[in-house]
Amino acid sequence: MASHVKLSVNGVCKSFGHGAHRVEALRDVSFNVLQNEVCVLLGPSGCGKSTLLNIVAGLQDPTVGSVVLDGTEIDGPARERGMVFQSYTSFPWLTVEQNVEYGMKLNGVPKAERMERASHFIDLVHLTKFRKTYPKNLSGGMKQRVAIARTLANRPEILLMDEPFGALDAETRWHMQEMLIEIMKSSQTTIMLVTHDIPEAIFLADKIVFLSSHPGRLKAILGLEFKKGKDIRDKEELITLDGYPECERDILAMMRAEARPQDAT
Amino acid sequence: MTLAESSAEDIDKAAPRTANPGGARRRKRRLFEFKSDIPASWSITLGILVWVLFFGFWEFAVWQNWANDILLPGPGKVLSALYTLFTEESFLYDVVVSVTRILVSFALACLVAVPLGILMGSFRTVEAFFNPLVSAWRYLPAPAFIPLLLMWLGASDAQKLALLFLGVVWFLTTLIMDHTKSVPADFVRTAVTLGGNRLQVLRTVVVPAALPDILVAMRQMLAVSWTYLVIAEIIAADVGIGAMMMRAKRFLHVDQIMAGIVVIGALGLLFDFLLKKFHGIAFAYLEENVR
Repeated sequence: MASHVKLSVNGVCKSFGHGAHRVEALRDVSFNVLQNEVCVLLGPSGCGKSTLLNIVAGLQDPTVGSVVLDGTEIDGPARERGMVFQSYTSFPWLTVEQNVEYGMKLNGVPKAERMERASHFIDLVHLTKFRKTYPKNLSGGMKQRVAIARTLANRPEILLMDEPFGALDAETRWHMQEMLIEIMKSSQTTIMLVTHDIPEAIFLADKIVFLSSHPGRLKAILGLEFKKGKDIRDKEELITLDGYPECERDILAMMRAEARPQDAT
Repeated sequence: MTLAESSAEDIDKAAPRTANPGGARRRKRRLFEFKSDIPASWSITLGILVWVLFFGFWEFAVWQNWANDILLPGPGKVLSALYTLFTEESFLYDVVVSVTRILVSFALACLVAVPLGILMGSFRTVEAFFNPLVSAWRYLPAPAFIPLLLMWLGASDAQKLALLFLGVVWFLTTLIMDHTKSVPADFVRTAVTLGGNRLQVLRTVVVPAALPDILVAMRQMLAVSWTYLVIAEIIAADVGIGAMMMRAKRFLHVDQIMAGIVVIGALGLLFDFLLKKFHGIAFAYLEENVR
């Protein structure tokens, strides 16, 4: 695996409002994401992890600091940083195929290549039989698969995901997690994913960036050494690994430590 | 049909019978049940019943001589007046003129309201610029402009079109602005992170996402258009459904006035039905295509 820095977050601060109403969301957050790495942003609610992801996407500007992708400071949203949201964003007026082709169409990819890439990614997310189907006839999980295929087919440099499985039921959720791992193995992609689900974070991440709350600060970067070099494809494999329970326990303890001051108020 | 499907269906059909052998514990269907669906046969029967009662009451009132025969003709007389109007008094021409006035003025209103509403709903700067104007005009009753319009345009077709236009354009703009605002923000955010520029996002996301609701707004405002049509035609017109009704008033032809009302009602229903059908066909991809 190449190990050069793909994306770096440099001293990012973000606050909203002015004067007495000023709310600090992020304070001096810095870390790197390596090429083909899955970086999970984890933390209690209110830690500003979604705000940070929006800043990386270019949907919000940092108050201080910068985000650099492939050596260039980002400025606004762009094709290089495609994002998948928690809410279902497959456009209801387009079929699955048209949805997946949508981003490529915006960017002027020729029709033949568009169709080829679309069918590749539709196969990858197991929607081959639903190519001509409209989203109203798809389940929530399938709609998210359309969104993932659409973003990947657009060849972003980094795939951003904001709690992509948060609206799904538990069973669909781990199916989707396993599918995402399968996709990562077949198409080399750098991913930054936000979640508050600890097992999901451990399962998917190469690196967990843990943020504390109010304001969001970098609390820890976890390398997940216990699963390094192991080819894990399903959740049973993961939870039977040596080191998994300790890892989950440590993160849970960090979550609790962060949540406690809030409970007191 | 596969074996699994057929057997599942059989069980479904059999269920009410077997689950209820003696007819003992089955709950009786009640006439009034909060927010619960009723069988199609009920809604058809009830829909016919209301009209039967309406005409029955009308006939009864005529039969009882509650009002002067001239002031309150029976349904039969109104129907025959309608027939005479079409066959002998070239009423069809009046209807065509009225419908044309509606369609032309409404098309003009849409030409302004659709782009303006979409832009106001998409960009706060456009909203901040136009909204004070649009809101103020919305609160001015269109008929208040009739004297002014008569001075400027005379009792012409242009005067009628202007009144109809003023009557709907501000509300239509506001409704379309609101519908555009309610396009999910994540649709727009998805498109920009896929590399879409502002024009592309407007054209390929905002417009198609808002379109179904825009058509609903049009349906609602078209109904309002008919209100202003009658006002416009009653005040100063030689032709049109309203003009015919005013003529009939001069000759105490109450049956013809009522026939005019019936025609307006029927045309309104027809337009509403056609737009509803069109909505269902054009936006068949929507999850809930009711309304």
